[in-house]
Amino acid sequence: MESALAPAAPAAGRPIRPATTGPQSPSQLSPSQLAPTRQPLRAEPPVALGLIAAGAVATIGLWWVNTPYISGFGDWVTSAGRITGLLAGYAVVILVALMARLPPLENGLGADRLARWHSMGGRYTVCLIVAHGLLITWGYAFTAHTNVVHQGWTLLRSYPDVLAGSVAGLLFVGVGVSSMRAARRKLAYETWYYLHFYTYLAIALAFSHQFANGAEFMTNQAARIFWAALYIAVFGALIWYRIIGPLVKNSRHRLRVVSVVAESPTALSVLVTGDHLEELAAQPGQFFRWRFLTKGMWWASNPYSLSAPADPRMLRFTVKYLGDHSRALARLTPGTRVFAEGPYGTFTGQRRTQRRVLLIAAGVGITPLRALYESIWAWPGELALIYRESDEREVLFRRELEAIAASRHAKLDIIVGSRARLGGDPLSAQSLARIPGLADNDVYVCGPDAMETTVMSALRSLGVPRRQIHTESFTF
Amino acid sequence: MRRVVLAVTSTVAVLVLLLGFKSQSAPPVTKPSASSSGSTGTSGSTDTGSTSTGSGSTGSSSSGSTSSGSSSGSTTGTKTVTGDSADTRYGPVQVKITAVNGKITSVDAIDYPQNDPRDQEINSYAIPQLNQEALAAGTANIDIVSGATYTSDGYVQSLQSALDKLKS
Repeated sequence: MESALAPAAPAAGRPIRPATTGPQSPSQLSPSQLAPTRQPLRAEPPVALGLIAAGAVATIGLWWVNTPYISGFGDWVTSAGRITGLLAGYAVVILVALMARLPPLENGLGADRLARWHSMGGRYTVCLIVAHGLLITWGYAFTAHTNVVHQGWTLLRSYPDVLAGSVAGLLFVGVGVSSMRAARRKLAYETWYYLHFYTYLAIALAFSHQFANGAEFMTNQAARIFWAALYIAVFGALIWYRIIGPLVKNSRHRLRVVSVVAESPTALSVLVTGDHLEELAAQPGQFFRWRFLTKGMWWASNPYSLSAPADPRMLRFTVKYLGDHSRALARLTPGTRVFAEGPYGTFTGQRRTQRRVLLIAAGVGITPLRALYESIWAWPGELALIYRESDEREVLFRRELEAIAASRHAKLDIIVGSRARLGGDPLSAQSLARIPGLADNDVYVCGPDAMETTVMSALRSLGVPRRQIHTESFTF
Repeated sequence: MRRVVLAVTSTVAVLVLLLGFKSQSAPPVTKPSASSSGSTGTSGSTDTGSTSTGSGSTGSSSSGSTSSGSSSGSTTGTKTVTGDSADTRYGPVQVKITAVNGKITSVDAIDYPQNDPRDQEINSYAIPQLNQEALAAGTANIDIVSGATYTSDGYVQSLQSALDKLKS
């Protein structure tokens, strides 16, 4: 099964300091110079949140400027409906922007945080949309002294584009329901993913009712221009970064499958080659969104981490069988064309602040850490990997990891077995406390959400500063 | 779950704060600004004081005071006056009043915003209510109709100008 082309197994006698230059290998020891040499534009979380909040304030400002005063209960409810509607119209754009693969957001926030923000913001937006519809109907009905049902009917029938807007609202609610935890468990990733495309239809349907009925826009040309520009800019970025950019990149690199290698009874690696791979500048710890151009698979794009440092001739990623898609990968034949978007992710050596590095992996979380373990810059003896797996048969890359440990003089601790057999959680604060000088490490943690949460709080309780703990969640 | 509660309560709090502020800053019922003619704001006594002058003013109306508004006098003492058109955000509002011997017998809005369904819906109940209030009060000191503040403001302005013309 071992492919002769496999770039993953480190050659014996590989230099301790990887030959690659750039962000991964700071030339000096002082922490200030551990920073990467080339800083791409990035929006850190506070900056991004501040920008989003400023936009929300400006949106409310549209209502504020437009409304001299409120008289009576009906006006009150209608105003609440207007504000929620304006905020929903704004939030929808922000949700799209978070998913537009904008480089400053991808670099500053990371794909996992973006996905989390998008999912939390999505729930909130659906609530805003529902509140908007109900409040407007109620407010109008109250001022018109009619009942809510009659008013709702009037709105649908004689207000321009309100019918389309209402259909859009229902679509948003439907997508929201499909994203709820209970529904997600029953839906395949791909089904859920494609249901999300209905939001684009919904945004299109909902757009015109804003200008046709929105008191803030009807008489305010500047507001209309500003609002339309916001939508156009975000959708332009979406098309550029998610469609045009990847198409251009893929036509240059022409990626294709070289081989599929079984790593364990439930995991496999896919080796991919292509032209000019060095231009991808993929860093260890990053991932691509892979799409395999075969019958039945071309329509699904899935994020998988590189499980070995990128090579000018080869990329490797490793997948555990979690769904239909990952199982279908086993049937890929060499030569299959691959469409990849990326590299994405901030779980890289760029986050370094310290000399010493500790990597903690659980389960399939080993994949990005396997790549970092081989390549992240460190002195002999100052790099360690703890790899937790419940079943010996599931352990990935044992031989590779041992070879890296030997050649880099790095520590390796593969802990196998259930908690009951081990007599406790090997990643608890109590166990981790035995690591000397723990607080002087940059700690990279990757594994299931529950594991990341417990390890994170264990590390914090042991005095590791927050900025030295780096995680990436698999939950997309 | 805690996050959900936090998000909902903070949103509601911000909404209530915003709306509360706008409610507090609501001006008292808009007094019509003396528009073209220099009428005194308090026109409370017009309906009693001007009854007898009704016939007298028919003469004056025919002598050419109908420069801006149109007013048509008639020999029976019935006088119809149209107020100046008042511009609002959603369109002009214009009020026509009819007085018999100086006593106002009917008030009607002959022009008001009807551009979109919202205007039509609001004004379908606001205009009759304003007409009724104006007829009952006989002055421009009438309550604005909730939900129709712009129309009400315009209505009051136009009504005041009509009343001013009626007196002159």
